[in-house]
Amino acid sequence: MMMSQYAAELCALLIEDQFGDLFARIFTTLQRYERLPLPRIKFYSRLTDRQLQHGLAAMIQHHLVFHFTSLEDGHTYYAANPHAAYYLVRSGKILQLVESRLGEYAARVMETIMYLGHAPIKHLETLPELRYLKTGTSGGADTTVKMEATPADADQEQVQEDGNEFEQELDQKPVPEEEEQQDVAFDAEVAETNGANGDHAADVGDNRPAPLNSTLKALASHGYILRVKDAHFQSPEDNYIEAHKAAANRSDIKILKGKRLTEELANKTDEIMRERTEGDLSEAWMVNGLPRGLKRKSAGGLGDSEASNKRHTGENGINGDHGYDDDENDWSEDEDGFDSSPMEPGLVVRVNYNKFDVALRNARFVEMAEANAPPVTAEIYETFLRRVEYSTKKCRDVTDIPREGEEGEQFSIPIETYKIVSDLDPDLELSSCMGPSKPPTSSSSSSTTTSNTLNRRGKRPLENGHGNGINGDHYDDNDDDNDQFNDNVDGADNEVSRAYQVNQHLSLLEQAPNNLVSQVNLSGVVKWRIGFRGLARKLRHLEIERLVEMRYGDVALRVLRVLHAKGKLDEKRLQEISLLPFKDLRQTLSSMQTGGFVDLQEVPKDAQRQPSKTIFLWYFDPDRVSSTLLEDTYKAMSRTLQRIKFERAQRRDFLEKTERSDIKGNEERWLSEGELEQLRRWRATEALLLGVVARLDDMVAVFRDF
Amino acid sequence: MSRFGAKKGNRAPGAEFTWDADPGGVPDTAPTPLYPTYVLPYARKLSEKEQKEVDYYRHLRERFHEGPYYSVLDVSSSTAKKGSAARANFDPFHGMPSYSGRYQKKRRTIPKIANIGRDYETRFFPRELWQTIMPNFRPNASIDGYNAQTVLSGLKRGFEDDEDEEDESAKRRATGADGDDAEGDANEGELLDGDEDAEEEIVDDDFEDDDDDMGGDYNAEQYFDGGDDEYGDDGFGDGGGGGDEDTY
Repeated sequence: MMMSQYAAELCALLIEDQFGDLFARIFTTLQRYERLPLPRIKFYSRLTDRQLQHGLAAMIQHHLVFHFTSLEDGHTYYAANPHAAYYLVRSGKILQLVESRLGEYAARVMETIMYLGHAPIKHLETLPELRYLKTGTSGGADTTVKMEATPADADQEQVQEDGNEFEQELDQKPVPEEEEQQDVAFDAEVAETNGANGDHAADVGDNRPAPLNSTLKALASHGYILRVKDAHFQSPEDNYIEAHKAAANRSDIKILKGKRLTEELANKTDEIMRERTEGDLSEAWMVNGLPRGLKRKSAGGLGDSEASNKRHTGENGINGDHGYDDDENDWSEDEDGFDSSPMEPGLVVRVNYNKFDVALRNARFVEMAEANAPPVTAEIYETFLRRVEYSTKKCRDVTDIPREGEEGEQFSIPIETYKIVSDLDPDLELSSCMGPSKPPTSSSSSSTTTSNTLNRRGKRPLENGHGNGINGDHYDDNDDDNDQFNDNVDGADNEVSRAYQVNQHLSLLEQAPNNLVSQVNLSGVVKWRIGFRGLARKLRHLEIERLVEMRYGDVALRVLRVLHAKGKLDEKRLQEISLLPFKDLRQTLSSMQTGGFVDLQEVPKDAQRQPSKTIFLWYFDPDRVSSTLLEDTYKAMSRTLQRIKFERAQRRDFLEKTERSDIKGNEERWLSEGELEQLRRWRATEALLLGVVARLDDMVAVFRDF
Repeated sequence: MSRFGAKKGNRAPGAEFTWDADPGGVPDTAPTPLYPTYVLPYARKLSEKEQKEVDYYRHLRERFHEGPYYSVLDVSSSTAKKGSAARANFDPFHGMPSYSGRYQKKRRTIPKIANIGRDYETRFFPRELWQTIMPNFRPNASIDGYNAQTVLSGLKRGFEDDEDEEDESAKRRATGADGDDAEGDANEGELLDGDEDAEEEIVDDDFEDDDDDMGGDYNAEQYFDGGDDEYGDDGFGDGGGGGDEDTY
C-alpha cells in the first residue's frame, strides 16, 4: 500500500522507538520499494544476511511485515504492514481500555500478548509473569515509579471484583510451576471445598494463581483478541488476488458469463476473503449473548457508589459465606463447568485492533454525550453502547472512508430497553436529573424528593448521595414529558418505570444536533440503535470545526458552518447569510483559504473567462479538509516523536546512566537528589510529549478509522 | 524627521533618537521582523486517564527494549568489534571504556530469535526463514512429505549485472553453511554460561560482509590492525570485545 510521506515517516519512527533502528531500516526499505524478495531487500537496505533474516523473522512475529510466497516461482516477497506499525502508538490506549473494562490483570495479559506479537495459548500458560495476580518481579522491570503507584487502587478494586468472578480459581492452592495445566480442572473441584471454609484469606495473599484461562476467555468473548490465521500474514492485496483466483476456479462460477460472472465473482471473492481472514473468537465464548467476566461491572464511570457496593458484598463474604455464594451463583452457574478449563492450547491469538477501534469510537460517543447531557444519561448511553459493541466487529465495511454524501447509513443492531435496564447498575438514580419527579407541591428540590421516595420505599439510604452531584444539571424541557410518568413512579412496577426512565434519557440523546441514538419501534417494542456513519461524520466535522475555531476564531467558524450548510456561495450571499461586515469576511475567508479550509471556484460567464465576468463561489469540502488534516496530524505526530528523540539525545549521558544495570530499579539508592529530580522532570516531559502524540492519535482515529 | 526640518518644530536635532521616546517600540531604522509574533501554544496537562495511557505505553516499550528483539544498527562504543563500521563511528569523548562501562546497557545488533524460550508457529513464517527461527532445521530434509522446490539462483530481474548476481548466490550458500555452524556454537555457548556467550554470538559481523562486497583484497579498515589482537581482551568483561573473528 502506498503511503504518504509523513505517514511513512511516522511508522518508521514508531518502530524505531519501540524496536530499535534495525527494524526501522528494514521497514523503511520495504515502504520505499514496496514488495521485495530477500536479496533485493539486502541490496537496498545494505544490511547483512543475518541482520535481515533475524530482523524479518522478528518483524513477522510482530506482524510488522507481510510475506507472500508465490506458488509460481517459489520466491518469498516481503512487504511492510503500515497498519500494524501505526497501531503501536495506540497500545497505551488499548491497555487502559482493557484495564477499565476487565481489570488490571487482563491488561497485563493483553500487554503480554502485545509484547509477544502473537502467541499460542499454551505458551501464555507457561509464562511466569502471568502466573500470579500481582507482579513481584514482572518481565520488564518497571521503570515508571508512577506505574506502581497508580494501579494500587485499581488493584484493590480488582481484588474484590475477581474475588467474585474467579472465586473458584483464586481459592485453589497455588499451582506449582511445574504442574501441568490439566490439573486445573481437578483443582477446581478441590476449590469447592476450599471455598467453603472461608475465602477471606485469599484477599490478603499476593501470590494467588491468576485466572489466566478465564481472563483469556473474557478477552476473547469481548473480541479483543482473535485467532491468527495464515492470511493475516499476507497483505490484503495478496489475499484478494488469491481469493479471486480461488473463486474463479470454482465450477459454479465457471459456467457463468458476462455481467453475472463479474457479479458472482466479486461476491465469491469477498466471501472467501472474509472466511480466510476471519479470526473472531467472540461468539464461541459468549455466554447468553454476553461476553464473560462483565457481570460485575467495572465501568470507570461509576465512582463511590459502586465501590461502596462492592465493599458491602465483601463484608457479607466475611461474615458468612452464603451471601457471597448467592451473589456468585446468580450468574456463574451456567458456566461453572468450563470456566477454568483451558482454551484450546494450540490456538494462536493476537490483538484485534479493529475491535478496539469500535470500542474507542464508542468511548468518543460517550464523551459527546457527556458534553451535552447529564452524567446519568451518559452512563445509560455507555451501557447501551457496551451492548452494541459486542455485536459490532469493525467500524465500517469499506476500507476507506467514503466521500461525504456518498455513504449510506449503517445502523447497529437494535437493543431493547429492558436489556439496557438489566445491564444498568441497579443503584443508579435515574430520575433525579429529569426535572422534578413529583409535582412541585411535595418539596422544593428534586434531590430531597428522590431521597424521600427512596426512604419511604425502604430501598436503601442514600449513603454518599450521588444523586446530589447529578442534580446540578437540570433539564427543564423534559418537564412535560415527565408529567405522565410522574404519576406512576410511586406505582408498584419498578421495572417498568425504570424502563420508562431509560427511554426518557435515551430520547434526550436522540435530539438534534447530535442524534446519538435513534429509536425503532418494531411491533410495539421500543428498541434503540445507533447510526454509525452519521455520527462518525459528525465527529469529523466537530474536529474540523474545533481546529478552525482555534486557528481563525469564531467568525471563521460561523462562515465555515454557513458554507457547509448552504453549499457554494458567492461573497455577497455569504455576507448576507453570515451577517458579517465585508472586511471581516474577506479577511477570514482569505486566511482560511491559505490554510486550505475553504476554496474558491470560478464560474466564467463567457468564453473569454474575464475576471470581471466571472462568478466566484466559496465552498468548503469536508473530504479534502479531512484528508489534509490527517496528513498534518501525521506530520505533527512524527515531529513530536522526533522531538522526544532529540530531547533524549540531549540528555543521553544522563539517561544512559539511569539505564545502567546496577542503577535501574534502585534509582533512589544510587542517584543523587539532583539526578532524581532531573529524572523525574525528564519523565514528566516525555509523558507530556507522548500524551500529545496520543491526543493527535485521537484525531487520526476520527479522520481515518471511525 | 530629518534634521533639515528642525526649524519648523522646536525639537533639538537628534531628538528622534532619544531612548525614552517609545520604550517598547522598535526604532524606525530597525529591520522589518522576519516572522510575525505569535502566541506559543502550551499543551494541556495530562488527565489521569491520559497519564495512565502513557504509562502503559512506556511500560510496554520498556518491555520491548528489554526484550530479545530490540536491536540497533550501530553500537558506537569502543566495545564494538574492531574493524567494523561501529568502531569507525566511535566517539572518543564519551565512548572511552571505563570501569562503570560494565554496567552500561548493551544493545544488540541482531534480534535474538532462537533459544529465548519462545516457540514459533513455524507455519506462519516463510520457508526461507525457518532456519532462522529453528536453528536445528535442515532445509534439505523433507518435512511432512513436503519437498520445497529448491531455488538456487537468486532472483533474476534482468537488469542487475551478472557479477553481483554470482556474488550473491555464492554468498548465500556460504552464509547458509556458516549459519549452521554458528548456531551450533551458540547452542554450546548456551550450555556453557548462558547469556554472556550468546550475546557475543550475535555481535554484528560487518567485517566479513564488507570483504565479500568489495570483492578485492584491499581493505582499508584492516590496513593497520590486520589480525593482531592487542585490544582483544580489554578486561572489561563487556563481552563485545574482539577475538572471535575466527568463529565465522
